[in-house]
Amino acid sequence: MFEIHDVHVAYGAVTALRGISLEVHEREIVCLLGANGAGKSTTLRTVSGLLHPLRGEILLQGHPIHRLSAEAIAKRGISHVPEGRRIFPGLTVRENLILGASNRPLRWPELEEDMAQMFHIFPDLERLKHALGWTLSGGQQQMLAIARGLMARPHVLLMDEPSLGLAPILVQEVFRVIKEINATRSTTVLLVEQNASMALSISHRGYVMETGRIVLEGPAQDLLRNPQVRDAYLGGAKVK
Amino acid sequence: MTSNDSKKAPSRPRFRPGYLALALGAVVVVLLPLIFTSRYTTNLLILGAAWGIATLGLVVVLGYTGQISLAQAAFYGIGAYAVALGTTRWGVNWWLALILGLAAAFLAGAVLGSTTRQLGGHYLAMVTICFQIIYTLINTNWIAVTGGPDGISNIKRPPFLVPLNTAQRYAWFALAALLLVAGLVWWLRDTALGRAMRAIRENELAAEALGVDTRRVKVIAFTMSAVIAALGGAIYASGYLYISPDSFNFDHAVAFLAMVLVGGSDSALGAILGATLLTFLPEWLRDLQRIYLVIYGCAIILVIVFMPEGLWGYAKLLGRRFARPLVLAPARGTLRVGGRGKAGEEILRVEHLVKHFGGVKAVEGVDFAVRRGEIHALIGPNGSGKTTIINLLSGLYVPTAGRIHFLGGDVVGLRPSRIAHNGMARSFQNLRLFRELTVWENVLVGAQREKSREAETRDRAMAAIEFVGLPDKANEICRNLPYGHQKLVELARALAGEPDLLLLDEPGAGLNQTEKQELIQLLKRLNAMGLTIVLVEHDMSLVSQVATLATVLNFGEKIAEGTADAVLRYPAVVEAYLGNREVALGV
Repeated sequence: MFEIHDVHVAYGAVTALRGISLEVHEREIVCLLGANGAGKSTTLRTVSGLLHPLRGEILLQGHPIHRLSAEAIAKRGISHVPEGRRIFPGLTVRENLILGASNRPLRWPELEEDMAQMFHIFPDLERLKHALGWTLSGGQQQMLAIARGLMARPHVLLMDEPSLGLAPILVQEVFRVIKEINATRSTTVLLVEQNASMALSISHRGYVMETGRIVLEGPAQDLLRNPQVRDAYLGGAKVK
Repeated sequence: MTSNDSKKAPSRPRFRPGYLALALGAVVVVLLPLIFTSRYTTNLLILGAAWGIATLGLVVVLGYTGQISLAQAAFYGIGAYAVALGTTRWGVNWWLALILGLAAAFLAGAVLGSTTRQLGGHYLAMVTICFQIIYTLINTNWIAVTGGPDGISNIKRPPFLVPLNTAQRYAWFALAALLLVAGLVWWLRDTALGRAMRAIRENELAAEALGVDTRRVKVIAFTMSAVIAALGGAIYASGYLYISPDSFNFDHAVAFLAMVLVGGSDSALGAILGATLLTFLPEWLRDLQRIYLVIYGCAIILVIVFMPEGLWGYAKLLGRRFARPLVLAPARGTLRVGGRGKAGEEILRVEHLVKHFGGVKAVEGVDFAVRRGEIHALIGPNGSGKTTIINLLSGLYVPTAGRIHFLGGDVVGLRPSRIAHNGMARSFQNLRLFRELTVWENVLVGAQREKSREAETRDRAMAAIEFVGLPDKANEICRNLPYGHQKLVELARALAGEPDLLLLDEPGAGLNQTEKQELIQLLKRLNAMGLTIVLVEHDMSLVSQVATLATVLNFGEKIAEGTADAVLRYPAVVEAYLGNREVALGV
């Protein structure tokens, strides 16, 4: 689906990515693990065009996209659900969702249908559809951010910590939804998540990052059993 | 601060480049009037000094405190007219006239500051513009007092050691005043007040929650800025010996704003650079006749676009490799948190707490009590009112009904800063750091307490930084730190005030499971030191490992209370909140 070759990214003088390469196949769920500051979010931001690599390239179905603007990349079907929600606080839930579909021409019946699907997945949002973004609780905002990302009907969904600030029951719900859209809509997902055990349990493959490099990769089941991964990211939990 | 103090507080840096700058400044003050001797250039020096002083006022209110003021020319005018009227019509001594002018500016600044303390951004800009325009109207039309559009001539100069009867002597006087004010503004930056101002600029809400009385500090900033501007005006009036309302109108207020932005609003040196440039640039461009204003305008736009931090900010960026980090000594004591009361006594009691936002019932009659030494978890589904309760306890929201007793006193209606001083500290769900300040400065703001001396504040701050294990990051700007470290800074900042009770809003969010284990150890250590903690958290494994008691909320009401293990088995809790219990607890 898309691949990243030897990408280097810096914020001013601070180097964030030191030559990472990874690939995500069609219909896969791939997760990126790593400590805070390892460069996981930076990777997502680079793929979605919010940052541009100093070196290296990013190919979407064989075409280079790393010089395109974020807007152009969104139009090619990559949707980014950023960390920390970033919903539009002064707009209603409905308006937030409508803006999620700005990567394609406006067709109301289609929009209404998509929104109905979102309300089916996240029933809380239907009740709140006329509420302003800022009045939502943290967890509701997170659900809105995910729903807004899905409104783009993306081929590729980049998700940055979707479980952040969610109650346990909703964390389970969100991961169920990710699995479901992957299966039913054949959406490819690249996921950054601190809840490594949960993320690996729904992923096909995973990459482990440390200080801007990829240090480990493999099928999710292998990573779950890897002693280094367990020590570093699973709090030393034992294998079940 | 006396030299004695600096010996006792080893955390003070031994060398600060600012002192060198002051010494250099003194040399420049002496040399400039000797180099530029023509009447024309000497007058420009005097004008530059007067404008520079007015711009330094803006450094305090805009650069440090982040409050926009477009009324600076009005205060500048108040100082000028006080000296003009005082030395001509009223026949009083120059210094007495100056004091009258500063007093008038003090009052006007305090009034403007107090009436606008709730405003920000464009509303504040609008109100200050109105103030400026009202001033100009009075100045022009109250002819009996101000002389109207004709202005006032024959203004006297101050007697100061020698008669300042030549332009050169007066230029020395004006430049010395500029240097003095610049030194004061530079010194202010790293005092407790200066840090409080910059904390307000970075995040007003967090500053208030940490104990900064933001309303009071904003009024002080406006007042200081007004008094400084009035001094500049007085120096201008006696320099030019004639004034008219045209020199104090809205155009000048905008010019002062341009000077501070072009020079770099966060620094006294920047203000002087900006004022110098914008005083002399029009004179250099004068030969270009009609297009000079176009070039002048373009130059300002270019600086603001390409050097958003101003000339001085840009110079600092270029010279950052020469900057030396502040040398900070280790703390002399350890952190003392948790207060001195008896373990087990009730320190927080919440009675029938209600909060409605319009029609939304966020909290609907919640009761609970927290005893000293407890870690009390508030859990519940998203939107059940947990963060609202934290905001009510810390005073950011005023309850619709109900009582909150903290350490025996009713805290409903108190300002958040007051509640913080009473011994309650908090963290925020989405980080609210002072992003452009260093770790050290962030924690210092949290450590500041009324009547505590600077050395004690520094000691407490360092102890808190050491406690979370970040002493080697103390000089880093917070914005550049990874998320996990930023969370630790927020914790250190809350601990530095040595609270009795700490409110934590989702401390584990965004940490991986290994980092969460470290957080659990940290919370247990704090608890062992006697700190009482109220914890909002969604990670049930974390809650069950640290919490001694848990209160479960749903739709703003309490649905269960008890030990964490017990409540997490209640069917209602499992259904509304946990879902799959094994997955949620990670067992």
